[in-house]
Amino acid sequence: MFALALAFLLAPAGAAAQGDARAAEVRVKAAFLYKFCDFVEWPPEAFAEPGGAFTIGVVGADALADELAQVVARRSVQGRPVAVRKLKLGAPLAGLHMLFVGGRDGSRLPEVLAAAKGQPTLTVTEAEGDGDPGSAINFVLVADKVRFDVALPPAEAGGLRISARLLAVARKVVAGDS
Amino acid sequence: MHSLRRKFIVLVLLTTLVALLVALGAMAGYDLRAYHRGLIDDLNTQAALLGRNTAAALTFDDPRVAQENLGLLRIRPQVAAAAIYTARGALFASYQRAGGGAIPARPEAEGERVEGRELLVFKRIADGGEMLGTVFLRADYGLVERVLDYAGIGAAVLAFSLLVAFLMASRMQRIVIHPILDIARIAREVVERSDYSRRAQKQSDDEVGTLVDSFNGMLAEIERRTGALEAANREVLRLNEELEGRVRERTAQLESANRELEAFCYSVSHDLRAPLRAIDGFSQALVEDHGASVPEGGRRYLARIQSSAKRMGQLIEDLLNLSRVSRGGLERGAVDLSAMAREVVAELQQREPQRAPEVAIQDGMQAMADARLVRAALENLLANAWKFTSKAEHPRIEVGILREDPGAATYFVRDNGAGFDMAYADKLFGAFQRLHAVNDFPGTGIGLATVQRIVNRHGGRIWADGQVGRGAAFFFTLEYGEDRRKEPRAMGSNR
Repeated sequence: MFALALAFLLAPAGAAAQGDARAAEVRVKAAFLYKFCDFVEWPPEAFAEPGGAFTIGVVGADALADELAQVVARRSVQGRPVAVRKLKLGAPLAGLHMLFVGGRDGSRLPEVLAAAKGQPTLTVTEAEGDGDPGSAINFVLVADKVRFDVALPPAEAGGLRISARLLAVARKVVAGDS
Repeated sequence: MHSLRRKFIVLVLLTTLVALLVALGAMAGYDLRAYHRGLIDDLNTQAALLGRNTAAALTFDDPRVAQENLGLLRIRPQVAAAAIYTARGALFASYQRAGGGAIPARPEAEGERVEGRELLVFKRIADGGEMLGTVFLRADYGLVERVLDYAGIGAAVLAFSLLVAFLMASRMQRIVIHPILDIARIAREVVERSDYSRRAQKQSDDEVGTLVDSFNGMLAEIERRTGALEAANREVLRLNEELEGRVRERTAQLESANRELEAFCYSVSHDLRAPLRAIDGFSQALVEDHGASVPEGGRRYLARIQSSAKRMGQLIEDLLNLSRVSRGGLERGAVDLSAMAREVVAELQQREPQRAPEVAIQDGMQAMADARLVRAALENLLANAWKFTSKAEHPRIEVGILREDPGAATYFVRDNGAGFDMAYADKLFGAFQRLHAVNDFPGTGIGLATVQRIVNRHGGRIWADGQVGRGAAFFFTLEYGEDRRKEPRAMGSNR
């Protein structure tokens, strides 16, 4: 809402309006990414290294990664400092606690997510279309507002537990086996 | 009448009332406080739960979910309105029961307050130390209704309890009060009817029982004493009557004997005069007719006979006088005692012209009396004074009034003659009682007895004062003529 209000305020900028709306969407998504951490429980083995940082990997969304780095600066998750890493396609995904894969086109997703499969990593995407993106959380735009869907099987596969409170505000939830 | 009964019931009712009021007040106070606290705790909990449930919605900017959460309040009709504000104070979601209260545009500081009949609660929503927003709840605050309910219930309980207490007290007061009322009733009856034979019935072994015993004991004692007193009274009355009867009887006997004696005395005296006159007459005739032939010694004897006969004649005369004084009617009239005394003194002077005693008679002495008798009394008293001053150096006789009282006066006849010994004062007025030898002062010893009888018959009193060789004074009281002169005269003229 705040983001949209900001977007409307910036709207008279004319040609730049489209770009500003996009920037607002990025800021909201960055904030949401940080807040997801409060509603998710990682297994103990995800923090094998004592005092290690909470690491968020960002693939194909550098603007969002920059925004996220600002959000998490001087903040902590699970009592740990937060580190944001920009990754290239094909880079190793081990040691990540959260992975955001940018791009509305979901075509690259299967290969990226396959690499993260079985790891205690919360996968977040922003794919459009009716197909299953294969991630735990997928951002969608509903009436210009950022919302998200939750799929429990990918999260459970990595030993993650997602709070019911987060499920309550999700647009739709794909339940797991258990 | 039944004030004790009423007091007892009032006491019980008052005690019940106070106990009930205290108990009800404490219960109501405790309950209302618990209600107040409970309601606040409940709403705070509700607000906290709402806040926690809405935290995600706030975090991810989803008013729809918050709205749905608030919608669940429908199952709590007590909540009139609810709202959720963002951290910046903007209204995020709201809920209103049908006819529910207004929703503030901005949240207030965390806390709760009572507004009219509603309780308002503001509660911060925090997550991980981050303030996410504020929950607002407006709920019915039924304290006034509750107080009214309590008042109603209290009134009903009070009414019922007091009714039961009244019935119980009415029944139980019989046990406590009845024996006392019994005693009171019997005490009243005893006083009203002076019937000391009544007894109170003992109904219990407590203090009232002791009271009944003591009361009955007192009644028994009073009854016993009253009986004894009445018996003694009756005995006294009986004895008194008996005594009076005996006195009347004796008086009658005495009066009868006295009358007989006086009649006898009078007739004897009267009858003695004839032979005495013969003795005197014939001894006189013997001296006159045959005096020459009677030897000298015989003539002396005859003279002795004559003088004795004269003395005896005098005696008889005096006795007759005494009798006459006692008999016959009393004819009262105004008597000028001063004039009468002078006449008597003049007669005495005539009889013994050679004597010249100093005589002082007070002027204007009056009395209401029988003139004949008073004259006899004065004659006797003055004759005595005349007689007993015969050997005095400067004889002096006084007659006067000692003192005047209303209706009566005390008179005196005083001389400075031989006097008498006060030791014999009580014998002066007895017949034939003489304090002096006949040779010293001749007399029959009847004079003062006659005087006393005269004074007594007038309702007066006589007494004497004297000293041997220093004279004597006789005092007597008579009705004083000055005051009563008119009345007796008027009576006299009627006759």
